[in-house]
Amino acid sequence: MKRILWGGAGLGLFCLLLLAWKLAADAKLLNPLWFPGPDRSFAKLWEWIATGALWQPLGATVWRMFAGWLAACAVGIALGAAIASSSLARKLLQPSAEFLRPLPASAVLPPAILVLGLSDAMIVFVVAFGCVWPILLGAIQGFRSLEPRLVEVSRLMNFSPWKKAWAFQLPSALPDIFAGMRVSIAIALIVTVASEMLSSQPGIGYLMLVAARAFRSADIFAGIIVLGALGFATNYGIQRLEDHLLRWRAG
Amino acid sequence: MLEVKNLDVAFGGSEVLRDLSFTVAEHEFVCLVGPSGCGKTTLLRVLAGLTAPTSGQVRFHGQTIAIVFQDYGRALLPWRTVSGNVALALEARGIPGAEHAGRVLPLLQKLNLGDHADKFPLQLSGGMQQRLQIARCLAQEPQVLLMDEPFGSLDAITRQELQDEVARLARDERRTVVFVTHDLEEAIYLGDRVIALAANPGRIAEIVDIELARPRSQLATREDPRFLQYRHRLFKHLAH
Amino acid sequence: MAAIFPALVLLLWETLSRAGVLSEDGFSRPSHWAPALVKALGDGTLLTQTLETFGAAFQAVLIASILGIALGAVLGLFRPLERAAQLTVDALRPIPSVALIPLSLLVFGFSREMSAAVAAFACFWPILIVTTASVRGVDPRLLEVGRMLGFSSGKIILKLALPAALPGILVGVRVAAGIAIVVTVTTEIVTNPRGLGHGMTMAAQGLQPDLVWATLIWIGIVGWLVNWGLLRIK
Repeated sequence: MKRILWGGAGLGLFCLLLLAWKLAADAKLLNPLWFPGPDRSFAKLWEWIATGALWQPLGATVWRMFAGWLAACAVGIALGAAIASSSLARKLLQPSAEFLRPLPASAVLPPAILVLGLSDAMIVFVVAFGCVWPILLGAIQGFRSLEPRLVEVSRLMNFSPWKKAWAFQLPSALPDIFAGMRVSIAIALIVTVASEMLSSQPGIGYLMLVAARAFRSADIFAGIIVLGALGFATNYGIQRLEDHLLRWRAG
Repeated sequence: MLEVKNLDVAFGGSEVLRDLSFTVAEHEFVCLVGPSGCGKTTLLRVLAGLTAPTSGQVRFHGQTIAIVFQDYGRALLPWRTVSGNVALALEARGIPGAEHAGRVLPLLQKLNLGDHADKFPLQLSGGMQQRLQIARCLAQEPQVLLMDEPFGSLDAITRQELQDEVARLARDERRTVVFVTHDLEEAIYLGDRVIALAANPGRIAEIVDIELARPRSQLATREDPRFLQYRHRLFKHLAH
Repeated sequence: MAAIFPALVLLLWETLSRAGVLSEDGFSRPSHWAPALVKALGDGTLLTQTLETFGAAFQAVLIASILGIALGAVLGLFRPLERAAQLTVDALRPIPSVALIPLSLLVFGFSREMSAAVAAFACFWPILIVTTASVRGVDPRLLEVGRMLGFSSGKIILKLALPAALPGILVGVRVAAGIAIVVTVTTEIVTNPRGLGHGMTMAAQGLQPDLVWATLIWIGIVGWLVNWGLLRIK
């Protein structure tokens, strides 16, 4: 009951802020060239949906983002498992991964364009490159930290290294892997949009940049709403996936 | 079933176990009792093959040894259900998945976990988690079942329940059990034979055959005069 | 030990480039990066660009801190307000900072303020959240003392709540500083006549692959140093 009340209060505050925005826009307190009111923004968004103009760019953005992110997950988890199993591999490779983690993924864009040209493949590669480090480091951490008692159980039951990795280490590593996945999905969205803006590839990012040059502020805000919704949806999706796969953890 | 000959175990210069020799016969329930630090856990780990002895021999005339750890929370797979954890032992034996349900459920029922088959370990009480570990170990069909102070972290009532359950299971399934405890009364209550270990370094102080009738009962057996005699006899070994 | 792997990669790259397997136009080669890096450092371009980037990032952290700490303190002290604000925060926070680039371009044009505004948006959220949590975690007795002494709400916040919450808040600012650098560089790559990001884009457009890679390495080094430095300020 209380939650519904607070949810209502939250919605109320949100609407209040929207109203304030609208009033400010109408009263021309905000430069109308830059800040359309919420009514114009949502109207533009509705127009995009109704005319179908939204779906292609949105689809392009979403597919690139997920292609890159999923590739990073596959590589990060597999590589992380392999590296975790050898202390030599860890000493050789982990420092490089730690060095590359703070590198802004978008910084790789100009070199990537030089090498791969302006293309979908280039964007997917850059997204994957940006996403792989948190997942890789999370996987290395996770695969290394199997409860020692369970290591003994695995030994006593004579399991092969593959069985041990699949039945013991992978489930045990999932919390750390998910932490990396959550960070990277946010990176994936940012890098995808930035790539589209820089390389003028059709997508939501490019759509918004073109709108900026043409001073179409309602389009910009519609785009912001779409990207915000996309960010929210992906966060929510990952959280639900994690909650399900990790439901065995104590509440 | 199990022969230990002149076992020596030393870690980093300090002697933990010295010149241990004893045998465990098939279907026997042997209890190892001693003060803390006498190396009984180390001995169990050597028997399981987890720790290597410095010298001496352990001869095991069977294929599988299962060990029930005291820290049950750490020995269970938290991400698998109760059934899933027991199924792990079946997977180790190469039993095809289709047969799992048929074997897991009866075993769970034997340990009073039948209603909890789909729960996760963290949803169970301490006593139930330990039962689960025991169930998994039994599912391995071991020739020898080792138990390392399995009821040490449980409350007195649960401990008594589980003592009787283990005694019953060992008898029904004709298991060979090596049971380690620091509780002398528990050792006498459960065992066919009690091996008392002295500390510093760990060595055999005395071996006593327990001739108390089975099945044993928490009230009657513990008041039996012979029970008290055994207790008197072995008590001195527990002092440091 | 840590350097072995990178050294091997560079060696392989150099070899493949000389052998013609990797095209020079795109990949360039390690032996060309060093002179390009030295030259760019020497004639001051790299340093000017770095200062530009840092300048924008600093502005961003400043703005985000002022707004984030102020709002965070209020939300932290008044639980009902925090709970009502939850929906709004959850709706706005997922907006990726790059989504604001077109808007910022419109308002600020090509300027340092443009990058700073975008980065400020990104930095605002961690600071807000951490400040709210830190202020909420302040011992309530401390605040009672303030009320007993007759302090106004403002004074309570400034003299009692914020100082007590400071350690937590500083953690948030540290995280924000890292984010600021990343978002600023990202924004510059997409737009902006100054700063490291644009420097790299210009080099790419000017068909100077050596400079592109050299700048990337420089960004990597700077990024790592900032990260390392921030972790040391404890």
